[in-house]
Amino acid sequence: MSQERPSRIDLSNYVIALLAIFSLNFILPRMIPGDPLHAIYGDEALVAMTPEMEAELIKKFALDQSWGDQLLAYVFGLLQGDLGFSYYYKDQVSTVIMGALPWTLLLVSLTLVVATSLGMILGIESGSRRGEPLDRGVTAGLMLLNGFPVFFMGIFLLLIFGVSLGVAPLSGAVTPYSGLKGLDYASDVLRHLALPLASLVLVQLGELYLLTRNTVVSLLGEPFILTARAKGCSELTVKYVHAARNSLLPIITAAGLLVPHLFIRTIFIEIVFSYPGIGSLLHTALDARDYPLLQGILLMFAVLVLTVNLLVDLLYKRLDPRVRYAH
Amino acid sequence: MHIDPLRDITHNPFALEGLAMLSLIVLMAALAPVLSSYQPDYYTGQIFSHPSSDHLLGTDSMGQDIWSRLLYGARTSLVVAAIVAVLTTSLSVFIGASSALLGGPYERFWMRAVDAMTAIPPVIVLILAGAYIQPSLLMLILLLSALSWPEGARIIRSQVLSLKEKEHINASRTFGANWKHILRNHIVPELGPLITALMIQDARRAVFMEASMAFLGISDPMVISWGKMMQQALDFTYLDVWKWWLLPAGLALSVTLVGLTFLGFALESAMDPRIRKSSRIEMEIENPRTIHA
Repeated sequence: MSQERPSRIDLSNYVIALLAIFSLNFILPRMIPGDPLHAIYGDEALVAMTPEMEAELIKKFALDQSWGDQLLAYVFGLLQGDLGFSYYYKDQVSTVIMGALPWTLLLVSLTLVVATSLGMILGIESGSRRGEPLDRGVTAGLMLLNGFPVFFMGIFLLLIFGVSLGVAPLSGAVTPYSGLKGLDYASDVLRHLALPLASLVLVQLGELYLLTRNTVVSLLGEPFILTARAKGCSELTVKYVHAARNSLLPIITAAGLLVPHLFIRTIFIEIVFSYPGIGSLLHTALDARDYPLLQGILLMFAVLVLTVNLLVDLLYKRLDPRVRYAH
Repeated sequence: MHIDPLRDITHNPFALEGLAMLSLIVLMAALAPVLSSYQPDYYTGQIFSHPSSDHLLGTDSMGQDIWSRLLYGARTSLVVAAIVAVLTTSLSVFIGASSALLGGPYERFWMRAVDAMTAIPPVIVLILAGAYIQPSLLMLILLLSALSWPEGARIIRSQVLSLKEKEHINASRTFGANWKHILRNHIVPELGPLITALMIQDARRAVFMEASMAFLGISDPMVISWGKMMQQALDFTYLDVWKWWLLPAGLALSVTLVGLTFLGFALESAMDPRIRKSSRIEMEIENPRTIHA
């Protein structure tokens, strides 16, 4: 009975999780009473469908065959990167997703960088002023922001800056049909990015801040900090070179673990701001009952989340010499 | 147990503020029929009317009184929170504690299940299920509980593993107590504060998930929900109605969530000295994925 976490990376967890998602994707539509084709493609799609198309689809999914053959057809489709056809966008699901993914990745990566660095700086400053008014104020403020549901934070900023003050664009990622080029285009993208980014950062900040603050509080009592001070290091050096560097490990781990979370928050923020990423795509797929697109998005999302978790595991093991030397 | 975190938090400003916020929401839910003069589903005959003495927050696009929908929405949030918190935490405690006590293949099976399940974001499963199965409040509650127990089970298990080596548990075992007796009479009482913290965390996640799913349009059509109010109101931001339709719903939801966050934060800080004794548990408690839903 092992009580420690296994130090070598256990891939089987990821395989099990992935298989669970795949089977859910396969079984759910087929469990619905009635015609599985209706469940896979949705009623709306079938209205527009000719009998020939229907026959072709039945053949493609092997729906007239046994469950085993259906499973084979499903797995082969996935292996070829075939996520199905989105009848709403009239295009391959994989193409539609790839068109939206860059916007989501832009939003997620910028939030990660801004929230992590801001959270660290605030955490270090707060942690070294433990118990002072600034520390208590920032902690209370960020806890409050962290408690806000992310979509309400987005709506709130949208209503204030977009609707009431009119200083920010209401929706989208670029001004449509503006034909902007170069620098103008970049600034247009940034202007559209500002509010979604701000809402995500404000909600995301709290967790990293609190972790940095608590780590710094416990680090500042360590002997090596006393040594650094005795050597005559300035307060700035002690805070940002000695304490910050040693608090990097838990922070990077935490930031990594928050990434799946961040993706989910981004989905909601994109819906609020009609930002043309995966979240808005998901919203459209849900509204239009475009099941192949919905399944494709969730599948890609699951793979993305599992990959990030695996990378964090790997990174953690590389960064922490104690874990690396342990075996 | 010499430190009682549950008593400790009454001196914590975060806990008091959190409790005040939650009491407000509970009052709204309990007094909903008294405070409102309309049934939440009643068609008043006029849509988008401005706030007046008759309709405190005006009426929405369906001509329903927003103030009564706001009050009845509190009931939905609180019911979901309470049931999911009890179900999830019971599952976490039962599976986590029985794994730690029984060990062997039983423990390995459950811990493997925990590892695999924590890798899957519950939102994905909820959306997928909601798209295929007619969403209902009961289904949401059951699915949420079925998906949320693993993190709690992991924390409970590691706590029980350290508890079961204690003298008094050994003594109880020497007298022939079986694991059910030990669990009921020794382990669960000692885990009280931790279980409370887990319940608050589960409740918070449940409120958030219910509102989020409703905001995505995955909700029981018969249920009044703040998330659904926000989803409907978001289509009309070009009108003035958001001031008394969208904002109150969002604020009520935020007050509930912030209240639970504050309460959970206060409880976690109060438990800190005990938790810090074991570095392994500390790591898991500080793991942000386990703290905030």
